[in-house]
Amino acid sequence: MAVARERLSPDEILERVERVLDDKITASRLNFGQADVTCEPDRLVDVVTALRDHEDTRTIFFTFLSAIDRSTFGNEESEGRGELEVLVHLYSPELVFHVNVHVPLPMDSPTCASISGVFRGAEWHERETHEMFGIAFEGHPGLTNLYLPEDFEGRPLLKSFRLPGRFVKDWPGAKDPEEAAGGGRG
Amino acid sequence: MTSAQAIDKLERDGHGAYVESYDPDAQRMTLNMGPVHPATHGVLRLLLELDGETVMKCEPIIGYLHTGMEKECEDQNWRQAVTIVTRMDYLAQFSNELVYSRAVDRLLDIDVPPRGRYIRVLMSELNRLSSHLVWYGTQGLDMGAMSALFYGFREREVIQDFNEMVTGLRMNNGYIIPGGVWEDLPDGWEPAVESILALMSRRIEEYEELLTFNPVFLERTRGVGVISKEVALALGASGPIARASGIDLDLRRDAPYEVYDKLTFDVPTLTEGDVYARYQVRMIEMRESLKILRQVVDGMPGGDYKNMDPKLTPPPRSELNRSMEAVIHHFKLMTQGYTVPEGEVYEAVESPRGELGCYTVSSGGTAPHRVHVRDPSFANLQLLPPAAIGGLVADLIAVIASLDPIMGGVDR
Repeated sequence: MAVARERLSPDEILERVERVLDDKITASRLNFGQADVTCEPDRLVDVVTALRDHEDTRTIFFTFLSAIDRSTFGNEESEGRGELEVLVHLYSPELVFHVNVHVPLPMDSPTCASISGVFRGAEWHERETHEMFGIAFEGHPGLTNLYLPEDFEGRPLLKSFRLPGRFVKDWPGAKDPEEAAGGGRG
Repeated sequence: MTSAQAIDKLERDGHGAYVESYDPDAQRMTLNMGPVHPATHGVLRLLLELDGETVMKCEPIIGYLHTGMEKECEDQNWRQAVTIVTRMDYLAQFSNELVYSRAVDRLLDIDVPPRGRYIRVLMSELNRLSSHLVWYGTQGLDMGAMSALFYGFREREVIQDFNEMVTGLRMNNGYIIPGGVWEDLPDGWEPAVESILALMSRRIEEYEELLTFNPVFLERTRGVGVISKEVALALGASGPIARASGIDLDLRRDAPYEVYDKLTFDVPTLTEGDVYARYQVRMIEMRESLKILRQVVDGMPGGDYKNMDPKLTPPPRSELNRSMEAVIHHFKLMTQGYTVPEGEVYEAVESPRGELGCYTVSSGGTAPHRVHVRDPSFANLQLLPPAAIGGLVADLIAVIASLDPIMGGVDR
């Protein structure tokens, strides 16, 4: 695989990705020199297959798959506010560029197509995302817990899951000396 | 043959785990190896099915070290999260700090002074040496060469001493921070690095004498645990494992970060894909690291070692006695920390084990909204079943050592 590496400008990268994906995606932009595309959950397999196999992109290296809970992002008006999102990151070693594929999902019963048929390495990533966010990956060969015990309750990486050590308890005593018995002197 | 088909030669059992051939009625021995086993390098548990000495099924079971560090990062401020990520892959602590800090640098859109960049590369390359020394020791030990362990750890100690001299700690340093590094190099760093360089170039010769042409070692590693290029690519392997299987991939050369574009070094690539090839790749990498360190020491510039913006960096102690403004900045930074503009970015560096990436999301607050770390050990460990199935149990030990998984990184 020792090849002369072509260097593409960020605009060329975006242009190529848009051309290869065409109507499979709903939005695309450049983000810190990397192509960011958004697609529907049922088009994800088409998108990654096209990116991997097309001569102009060749993103043969699967980097990672994870998810982001955007329900508490910034404030109500924030652009990044949303619900759940599956994130697939691909890399093209020959053309030296990165693609982030974002897949927005609803918060209740999120379901996404599994890409483990395209990249076998996604199997563990999908199991991790499944147990941490509760996202079901359809077509995964064995979607069981990867890290957590089988009887674990809750989805730890959701924003609604609070770490037990982080609950703020009210100070049990009086806050003002005047409130305390004896005017704070007792 | 496409990449997926290469692994499809292996069958799956009822739970999706890879098996040589699936026969639920076969008389096979089920063996639990680990989670506490000296040859599994941490708390890795393997569920094996054996036909005599042959591994018919191998299912890695992980999570024994899972402490939810990604979640923990969301509760810390941007500066404090460095102390969390450094504990993930604890043998490559500087790479972890570097990738996270680089992601935050980009979100903040700040410059790191040249000296800071050189110090970052200095520490990560020394880190690569010390990490490979642990691998060398354990690979040797698992093959029955006890002295390799002693030699590897003896030299690692010298590098650990240097880490302690610079950062005050031997592990989990929290030294590389967004904006540069926490402290400047102390007096006497140059002779210390020079002596490490002189020592290591001599000692690597000794290591090679011990194992490279050792007939027992060759017998146990050549042609053992072969990972084809297709399988390595399909499962997302990177680092020395990918390079030993013929995938020419190194982020330091392909997408140079910090000052790697100013440094000259070679990237070893072999095609055999067996345990011995992974051994050779790492041995060459250690020599290349010495070459890089030589250039870093010679090229170390003066000047600031971190971004001195008072909104990011606490003022020097002496200022606090004279300037009210300095006290305010100090108070703000220590109580709530700085904010990072809304945005998200993926940054990747070449850690001793491969592509270490960090996807960081900021919602504009003083704490990360999400930090996802793409750990190379996690992806590389998936190669264990295809590499081990069909081989002997003794070969499995060699394969685990050559994959060099660090469970802190796998479990995060």
